[in-house]
Amino acid sequence: MSAPATPRQLRLRENQLFLVLAILVGVLAGLSAVLFSVSIEQVSRRLFGLAPSRARLFLIPPMVSVATGILLAKVFPDARGSGVPQTESAYHLAGGQIPARVPIGKFITGVLCIGSGHSMGREGPSVQIGAGLASTIGRWLQVPPQRVRELVPVGAAGALAAAFNTPVAAVLFALEEIIGDMNASLIGSTVVASVASVIVERSILGNEPLFHVPPYRLVHPAELIAYAGLGICGGFVSLLFSKGLLAARRLFRSLPAGSRILQPAIGGLIIGGLLIVSPAVMGVGYEYVDQALNGGLLLKTMLLLCFLKLGATIVSYASGNAGGIFAPSLYIGAMAGGAAGMLVHRFAPFSTADPGAYALVGMGTLFAGIIRAPMTSVFMIFEITQDYQILVPLMVANMLSFVISRRFQAVPLYHALLHQDGIHLPSPATQASPAARTARDLMRTDLVYLDPQMPLNLAIQGITDRRGAYVVGARDQFIAAVTREQLERWHVSAPNDQLGSLVKELPSIHVHPDHPLDIVVDRLSQSEGVLPVVSRTDAHRVEGIVTPDSILVGRDRQRGLGDRVRE
Amino acid sequence: MSSTPQRSGQLIPDRLAVIHREMLQLVALAVIAVAAFFLTRAVAINNRESSLRTAAEWYRRGEQELESGRIDDAIAAFRRANVKSRNNKVYSVALARSLTIKGDRDSARAILLTLRESAPEDASINLQLARIARDRQDVTEALRFYHDALYAPWPPDATEARRRVRLELIQFLLTHGQTSDAQSELLAASADSPDDVTHHLELAQLFGAAGDHEGALSQYERALRLAPDNEEALAGAGQAAFHLARYALAQRYLNRTRADGTDVRSTREVVDLILSRDPLAPRIGTAERKHRLTENVAYATQRFAACVAQSPAGSADDLSLQNEAGALAARLKTPQPIDQDIIEAGADSIDRIEHVVVERCGPATPIDRALLLIGRQHGGESR
Repeated sequence: MSAPATPRQLRLRENQLFLVLAILVGVLAGLSAVLFSVSIEQVSRRLFGLAPSRARLFLIPPMVSVATGILLAKVFPDARGSGVPQTESAYHLAGGQIPARVPIGKFITGVLCIGSGHSMGREGPSVQIGAGLASTIGRWLQVPPQRVRELVPVGAAGALAAAFNTPVAAVLFALEEIIGDMNASLIGSTVVASVASVIVERSILGNEPLFHVPPYRLVHPAELIAYAGLGICGGFVSLLFSKGLLAARRLFRSLPAGSRILQPAIGGLIIGGLLIVSPAVMGVGYEYVDQALNGGLLLKTMLLLCFLKLGATIVSYASGNAGGIFAPSLYIGAMAGGAAGMLVHRFAPFSTADPGAYALVGMGTLFAGIIRAPMTSVFMIFEITQDYQILVPLMVANMLSFVISRRFQAVPLYHALLHQDGIHLPSPATQASPAARTARDLMRTDLVYLDPQMPLNLAIQGITDRRGAYVVGARDQFIAAVTREQLERWHVSAPNDQLGSLVKELPSIHVHPDHPLDIVVDRLSQSEGVLPVVSRTDAHRVEGIVTPDSILVGRDRQRGLGDRVRE
Repeated sequence: MSSTPQRSGQLIPDRLAVIHREMLQLVALAVIAVAAFFLTRAVAINNRESSLRTAAEWYRRGEQELESGRIDDAIAAFRRANVKSRNNKVYSVALARSLTIKGDRDSARAILLTLRESAPEDASINLQLARIARDRQDVTEALRFYHDALYAPWPPDATEARRRVRLELIQFLLTHGQTSDAQSELLAASADSPDDVTHHLELAQLFGAAGDHEGALSQYERALRLAPDNEEALAGAGQAAFHLARYALAQRYLNRTRADGTDVRSTREVVDLILSRDPLAPRIGTAERKHRLTENVAYATQRFAACVAQSPAGSADDLSLQNEAGALAARLKTPQPIDQDIIEAGADSIDRIEHVVVERCGPATPIDRALLLIGRQHGGESR
């Protein structure tokens, strides 16, 4: 009989099994990405044929969107949009739990939406499908919850690696965007999954780069100035896209809740109209990117397609269809870059590269500006085109685009989209170390709720609690947190005003339960003595409040716990 | 891997069962992965075939558009064919060809150079590149690509196409004045040319343009062996023989042709004049030689006098020539027979007078041309 296993041996065995699991997840995620991509092509070919009539172009998007609208509203509500923010949310806030219906729903609705002409990308959905498969497999195998969480970026990397045929960029994306930490310990398993996925993908589709690009190079060092200009332009186009998308989505979300089922079809109708103007904005659109990269489009055409695609993607995404923004950002970037390159080439034909080189760099700048993953964008363009020569201009332009985008829109697009859904992801700067005290440890949870409809004088009279801090609203309908001093101050000037109208003026300072002590203290000092602690997944749900007293109580409680542990 | 709690150094009773379950699940997952692989592969293959069919359809449409002269539509169609079937050389070459027709040579060249990287010995790619270089007046590059195209492996049934490429190269060389290279290529072309009237005529014209009249005459004669009454061959052979100063032969060919073009007519006239006025022609009697010489001297003297009257330069050379012609005319008027030296000296004087006349008072009349050619034939030009 064998000797009993030590904890070290068990841990080793667990790591080995996790590695095997990462390979299998990578393979399955890669296969799902390939199948997704192929299915979109098949559906598109069947729906539109070789040269579709105008009626077909106009009618197919709204007609298919009616069906996807029902599916997205009734069966797969988690399958709307890109899938990347949802994956990040699942990783950071739900312990990596992604229900099995999510990848299935994303696959079906994604294929229908993109295949029916909506201007969206296939990579974001692939990421969510891969992550969803990984999470489902982890739960089926009953791996520990922490391991289920770790499988999410592994599956995402595997899917993205196959979708773009870019193993390195996929690993970087998983670290940079999903995990939010380039030094993450998961690098080994994401690399393994990414490699396994790409091997599978290449064995099926062959080792073809996504785009065929002639060899480009920096013709003259001064050309870097032109690329820097392109980076600046790319930054502003990225801003236009991000802000336009957020505004349009806000508009759609402000429509009555009952209309959500029809919103994809409304988007489909607009897309149908745009397809009549130019069928080139249909779907993923990589064939036109290829043309721009090979100098196959005119200046006027590229400018037109840049803005048409931008508008079409905003409409498709904001109306709640299922599809990503990776591919559209590459498309818009290629058109903007190609147009800029053509202008530059016109002025200085002998000291500048062909417009295709600018289209290539333009793709990276938009990706860096919109997705806000600068390292991923550089490596992705490099891997997509397998062209090393363009790396320096690419880095210059990407960095400028990234800086401009961050300067004028502090919150990255994916996070801003989550904010619209009331979800706030932790940023690396605000993440607490496992041993640190967080708002959760310091908050009071025995809350006193005040009715926002109540006049102030009645509210004050009704307060029997003497602790001095209260919540206006209800647990799931949080409006503000106030102190007794604030209420008494308002009472002097406006005793009969409704509480709800008075608190509207208050700045919305809050923390989330996982915020560390230093951030809690910092924000408390900016408040009037009370700091609400709201849920990350629902900004209208209050988990507790932090006051100076509660911090002291929390500290004492923790100290006592520590003492007991030592004893 | 299971979340079952473990304690240090202690074998948990159900550990074997857990390991067994995990192994089974991993094996099941692997089986699912293999099945999914084959399913995805089958779908991908099907999709690939559909893409290839679509590409072929776009290519067909592109060819139709090209035939109809709608270049932009053809280019768009060829581009789509290329996207759907990336590695198809035929589609890429078609796209490059249509871009060249549109005048976008740079794009076409870029496409072809990319293609050439993977197939440096492909005749059609090299030929397209050569034509683009030709249109861009880049002689060095054009020659390189033409040669690469010519010496690339061609399919066995493409001999005629290859020959056409060589003729195209010859035309290109002639256009750029590289006649010796053109003649070398012509020799190669004539070696593998089929024995066919059209081909012989084509080669003969190129030989003629390259200044190789011997080669041209040879090709015309080969054509005439196949079609003795071919007007073009007769006229061409007559002209070639004329350039070779084989006037009797030229007259025979030119007299047989019914062609009445300006060139043929004027050549025929000059040839007749040469043959009737050459005092040094073989197999004629002394009296005839004297008669011809007298006639030529009279004509040259008269032309010279008219020319001097028209533009009285009055140089010492003029006077000397006039005196020489006068002395010769006086000598010819005597009834005494003339010897060979006098005939040769006479022909020489006439040649010099005619040169002055044509240079100073051109254009040359048919008789002027005939006299000059007689002079050249008998060594006048070297003098």
